[in-house]
Amino acid sequence: MADFLSGAAQIFTLVTLIYMLAGSVAGIVAAAIPGFTVTMAIVLTLPLTFTMDPLQGIAVMLSVYVGGYTGGLISAALLGIPGTPSSVATTFDAFPMARNGEPGRALSLGVWASFFGTVISTIVLIFAAPPLALFAVRLGPWEYFSLIVFALTIVASLVGSSAIRGLLAGLIGLAISTVGTDPIMGRPRFDFGIEMLQAGLPFLVVLIGIFAISQLVSEVEDARNVRSGNKLVTGAIDFQTWKVMKEVLMRPVNLLRSSIVGVLIGALPGAGGSIANLVAYDQAKRASKHPERFGTGEADGIVASEAGNSATAGGGLIPLIGLGIPGSAVDAILMASLMVHGISVGPRLILDNADLVYGMFIAMVVASFMMLIVSVLSMRLFLRVTEVPKWLIVPVVMTCCVVGTFALNNRVTDLYLLIFIGITGYTLRALDYSLAPLVLGVILGPIAETNLRRALMTDEDPTLFLTRPISLIFLIAALVSIVWAIRSHLKNPKKIERSSDAPSS
Amino acid sequence: MNDASLVETHNQEAGEIARLLSYVVLLLASIGLFVSAGAIPPSRFEKLGAGAFPKIVFVGLAVVSAIAIIDAVRKIPRSAYGRFRSQTVAWARRRYLVFVCLGALTAYLLAIPVLGFSIASLIFLFGLQVILMPRTAKSIAIAAVIALAFSYGLNWLFAEVFTVFLPRGVI
Repeated sequence: MADFLSGAAQIFTLVTLIYMLAGSVAGIVAAAIPGFTVTMAIVLTLPLTFTMDPLQGIAVMLSVYVGGYTGGLISAALLGIPGTPSSVATTFDAFPMARNGEPGRALSLGVWASFFGTVISTIVLIFAAPPLALFAVRLGPWEYFSLIVFALTIVASLVGSSAIRGLLAGLIGLAISTVGTDPIMGRPRFDFGIEMLQAGLPFLVVLIGIFAISQLVSEVEDARNVRSGNKLVTGAIDFQTWKVMKEVLMRPVNLLRSSIVGVLIGALPGAGGSIANLVAYDQAKRASKHPERFGTGEADGIVASEAGNSATAGGGLIPLIGLGIPGSAVDAILMASLMVHGISVGPRLILDNADLVYGMFIAMVVASFMMLIVSVLSMRLFLRVTEVPKWLIVPVVMTCCVVGTFALNNRVTDLYLLIFIGITGYTLRALDYSLAPLVLGVILGPIAETNLRRALMTDEDPTLFLTRPISLIFLIAALVSIVWAIRSHLKNPKKIERSSDAPSS
Repeated sequence: MNDASLVETHNQEAGEIARLLSYVVLLLASIGLFVSAGAIPPSRFEKLGAGAFPKIVFVGLAVVSAIAIIDAVRKIPRSAYGRFRSQTVAWARRRYLVFVCLGALTAYLLAIPVLGFSIASLIFLFGLQVILMPRTAKSIAIAAVIALAFSYGLNWLFAEVFTVFLPRGVI
């Protein structure tokens, strides 16, 4: 109790709260710009925390982290471009909802879902950190590979108007992930002697090219509409704070399920939020009585995606606090920040620095409140984006995408890749391929390959995938998922046609 | 069938042919890359080499593309192939601004290493806005301010605040 109070006393000082508020704003703004990720925002914050107390520094970084997971929804809803990889699934319903004249409701739903997702994940974190961390560390490459096989079956929910083109897009994504040096031995593959392909196709460049560039150029398809100076989104700019809060709370099952999915995926070292939002969306769609409404502006879709990605923030801290293993790039930076202050992160962290750990829990909750306050106060300002005419926003966002692509690795060759990937993205979009499975393939490809090869390096017996119980459970879940998808495709052979305004989901 | 629905049917058929072409490209590419993956030497330290996973992916891609080709060929009436060229040209004409945007972006990205981020962005932002906008004195003035803010302004922000230096160019 004394440690808890000590942690609380360090967080609830005016200076820390002001720093956290600034961090929250920075996270939201950074993630709202396509091409800038939560990770980049945290990396830029890290040097600023060196002069702070350890807990103060961590609290500021957690504010950026929590704010960043919410900020991604702004461009997802208003522009149809995921602001961060973790808001890909948010575009599926938030964007159509905004285009149908409810941009305020779309944003508000996302903000509240993010808030509750973070709070739920923090509660789980407090109670389940030690046992969950021990469970996560017992998973071997067999279990990880089977988990990824299960995650790949999500493609069935994301295929859009054609199952076959959805499947092809997923396979193209996996193929893209094989370009560059292989993840185990570092052997060059498919670079055809071209220098810029030797490092592979960076995931963020693929995301920006496939989603952002193709979405932006498709905004100018109708020349007459652009030249008339039309706004991006028309409709009421009303955030409907309390009404939407009730609407989100009226979906407790979805909220809880998506948050738990987020926590579990966050707890597993790997891709974190970028997978969690898609899995949570997929689960919500499968559990819904009206799966056909998903992709057309369904509130459940936004709630699932945003609660899922925000809950990974708490989930990711589970292995970090429990075992000293960072679950994602962001957690690694948090860990680095603690180490800079001379605090060794490992299983003894909670014993030696209990006040710090409790302070982190409190900081998570405070950060989510900060995010909520900043969002409620600033969303009106963000919603003004919808009043900007297309002729202005298209070139400006393109420039932001270019800066984001360059700042990722400070490589000019990434800019050349962006041209090719952008043109490919628009071509696939024009040919009515769904783009979400492609992105999923790019994320999951390297994880699947690494674990498959690692498993067979450890033991050449392939039956271990079936004889290890947790691996078997994941494989059965994958099989059930495929059978379920085939059954629902046979039941509803006619999918709703994608409107020209909808993002390629 | 009235004229509007006939045009719609023709457009859909042209779309199907374009998709068929994409399946053929994917099939050929996956076969080519499968062969290329076979040339990656196996490893002494592991059962699967660097080429094994790509081979699995390319086999999957080839099989699904082949199914897609068979499915598409069944759907497309023979008469549609004759109209494909003119339909594609008409489609591209309707979307000429898309090609202008992609062309401008390509030129911009190629110019950045030479002109530097600030100058290239200034030209790209102002030029593309002027191409897309309904031209009035007010909108041109707004475009000029925006172009300055997001070229020199963004460059200054990144250099001074984040210490990330955007390309300076060679001239």
